[in-house]
Formats: sequence, C-alpha cells, structure tokens
Amino acid sequence: MAMAALRREGRRFATPLLSSPVRSSVISHSQEELPNGVRSISTQIVRNRMKSVKNIQKITKAMKMVAASKLRAVQTRTENSRGLWQPFTALLGDAPSVDVKKSVIVTISSDKGLCGGINSTSVKISRILHKLSSGPEKETKYVILGEKAKAQLIRDSKQDISLSITELQKNPLNYTQVSVLADDILKNVEFDALKIVFNNVPKLLLQWTFAPTCYAIMERESEAGGKLGELDSYEIEGAETKGEVLQNLAEFQFSCILFNGVLENACSEQGARMSAMDSSSRNAGDMLDRLTLTYNRTRQASITTELIEIISGASALEG
Amino acid sequence: MTLNLCVLTPNRIVWDSEVKEIILSTNSGQIGVLPNHAPIATAVDIGILRIRLNDQWLTMALMGGFARIGNNKITILVNDAEKSSDIDPEEAQQTLEIAEANLTKAEGKRQLIEANLSLRRARTRVEAINMLAQ
Repeated sequence: MAMAALRREGRRFATPLLSSPVRSSVISHSQEELPNGVRSISTQIVRNRMKSVKNIQKITKAMKMVAASKLRAVQTRTENSRGLWQPFTALLGDAPSVDVKKSVIVTISSDKGLCGGINSTSVKISRILHKLSSGPEKETKYVILGEKAKAQLIRDSKQDISLSITELQKNPLNYTQVSVLADDILKNVEFDALKIVFNNVPKLLLQWTFAPTCYAIMERESEAGGKLGELDSYEIEGAETKGEVLQNLAEFQFSCILFNGVLENACSEQGARMSAMDSSSRNAGDMLDRLTLTYNRTRQASITTELIEIISGASALEG
Repeated sequence: MTLNLCVLTPNRIVWDSEVKEIILSTNSGQIGVLPNHAPIATAVDIGILRIRLNDQWLTMALMGGFARIGNNKITILVNDAEKSSDIDPEEAQQTLEIAEANLTKAEGKRQLIEANLSLRRARTRVEAINMLAQ
C-alpha cells in the first residue's frame, strides 16, 4: 500500500519532463518507470524517492519492535489462560457440528490494521460458518468484537449482526471486562448454539517470524439441549439441580473461552503485525538497493553526457 | 495416596501440586475431601479453601467458581484466587472497610448486589489472613 503511493509519487515527478526533445537515453533501465520521450531522470528525483523509502523503512522497523514488545506482554497471559478451558472441554465435551435453529457466531478481530491477513481470514471463516448453518428454518447471527471484522461484515451482512463491540483493547485485557461482555451476549442474544472464531497461535512460538494459521472454533450449547456426557458420572453436590449447575458451568465456560479467545487473537495480531512489518522493511530495503543502482547509473550518465558535450564542443571549435 | 490439586483462574495457575486433604467451601456448606473421594462436581462459593500438606494447613481465598473432584484429581476453576501469604493484612482490612462503607451508600438493586459481593470478597480475604494466624 505504501509502495504504491511511492510509485505514484515518482510518476508525478516524471511527467513535467515530457516537454524536452527526444534523445536516446543512455539509461535503459529507468525507462520502465517513465513514459517515453524523457531525456533523463535527474538525480534529484531518485534521491527524493530514496529518502521517502528510507523513512518508510524506519517506520516499519519501529512498528515491528513495538509489536514485538506488545507480543511479549500478551503472550504470558495467553499461556496462563489456556489451562482454564481444557478441563471444561474434557468435562462437557465439544460439539462442533450440531444442528440447531438459532446459532450465533462470535467473531473476534483486531481494531487496528497493518496486521497481515488475520482479520480477512477470520471473516472468511465466519462467512463460511454462516453459510453452513443457515437454511430454511435456521438463522445465524453475528456478534462482532473488533473494528476490522465489523467493517468487513457490515457491507454484506448488515441485518445479521446482532451486537458489535469495538475498542476492546483500550484498557489492558482482563477477565472481569470479558466476563461482563460474555454476560451481555448471553442476556441479549438468543441462541441455541454458539461458535467463537478467533486466530490461534501455533504451539511452538520459538521464532518471531511466523504466520498464524489455525482457527479454533469452540462451541457450546445451551442448557436445554446440553450434552451431559461425562457430567453424569459426577454427583452434584449442593442444593441446585443438575440443570442449574450445568447452565452455570456452561456460562462460566463461555466467558473463559471468550477470554482465552480474545487474548489469543491479541497475540496473533501482534505477531502478524511483526511479520508484516518485517517483510515490509525488507521490501523497502530491496527497493532502496534498486534505487541506489539507478541513482548511480543516472549520476554517471549525466557526467558522461556532460563530458561528451564539452569534448564535442571543443572539437567543433578546433575543427 | 495423595490428591492432585489444580487451582486455575483465567489469569494464571494459582496452585498445581499434590496435597493430602482439602476443605472446600461450597454454597451448601463446607466439604472436606480426602483421597478416594466419590466423584463430585460442585459450585464453589466466595470463601476459603484450606489445603493440608503434611500436617500443615494453608489457606487460600477463592472468589467463586466450580470444582470437579474425581479419581484423586481435583480441579478448581475460580474467577480469582489469592494465597493468604500473598495478601497484605492492612490492605485487606482497608478494602473491607471501604466495602462496608460502599454497602451503606449503595442505592438501587444493582449497586446493592455489587456492594454485597465486594463485601463478601473483602471479608473472605481478611478471614484468610486471620485463619493463617491461628
């Protein structure tokens, strides 16, 4: 995106030179960037381009380092929160493909951009899920967390969005905030089954350059059609009925999984931003190398032209 | 035979090791769990968890959640947990006083419920420290 702006900028500098008479340019390479009939690009233009490319490279490098430090901060919390939902899945079971009337897809995305393709892939998966679980009698609704998914989904599924929340990361993420959010969702949205889509971080995060690719889809059912599963083998202590305990447990599970999902998404957002900025810096470096070559060639060509003019002028005087 | 106890909160793993016995506070009273207990799933109230390792009792304040006991393995999932050794007595006392003041000031059903909850939480923390001192 930034590189395209640079290219446009370069062309804007080149067009005023069109008025000069046609002369075979010694520089053959530069012709791919300029329209025909230009005498030569001056070193000034190339120098300007080099300066702006260098500035962009500095910015992307700084962004990468900021993303790295943010990633380190979120990562420990994410790892700690992972242990919480595994006992739930072991106890209540996971039911990824259940046929229900009303299903809700919770899409978690980031608020800021420049983080690679993670938001588009989340939205793509949400759309696929939506198609899968929509039918004559069934309906699917979206609950959107994050600005980016909202921007993409609002274009074509505006009527299906029941709740959208943005600016989650204004305050550092904590469980109380997410549990309030989960409470809100449970109260305001009717559903029989719930699916959460977020970007997962691959298990072995050893190097900084990675591409988050896995998408975890957790589902949980409401108490009515709930899977009792292994819960049957446990006696329920306490005055509540089994149904009540199951519902409480399911709600707790939802908020835990949502918390973990939000953290994992934040982790993968920072990681994707790091790798995007890293490749951006590298591209800028490549561009800078090519521009340096062009610059040198331009410089030498102009010197050669001057020499030729002087010598031919001198020989014309003599002869 | 020892029990394997795991206390997890959304933010971190508070406890993960073997213990001899625990006393858990549920919404229908306190239950003691010894090795080879029958499998049980229960809700955990805002209260004290007492852990015994080799004749030494350790207290922890739990802020509500769930517990699953089965096959000599106990998993407790709570909203928040604090070991009594991590709680500062003066700070806990102050929090208790603030919570009590808030309760008298609370208006409206929602504020009343919230104030009650924070009072119980503060009280649990103070109790955890007092119990340790016994």
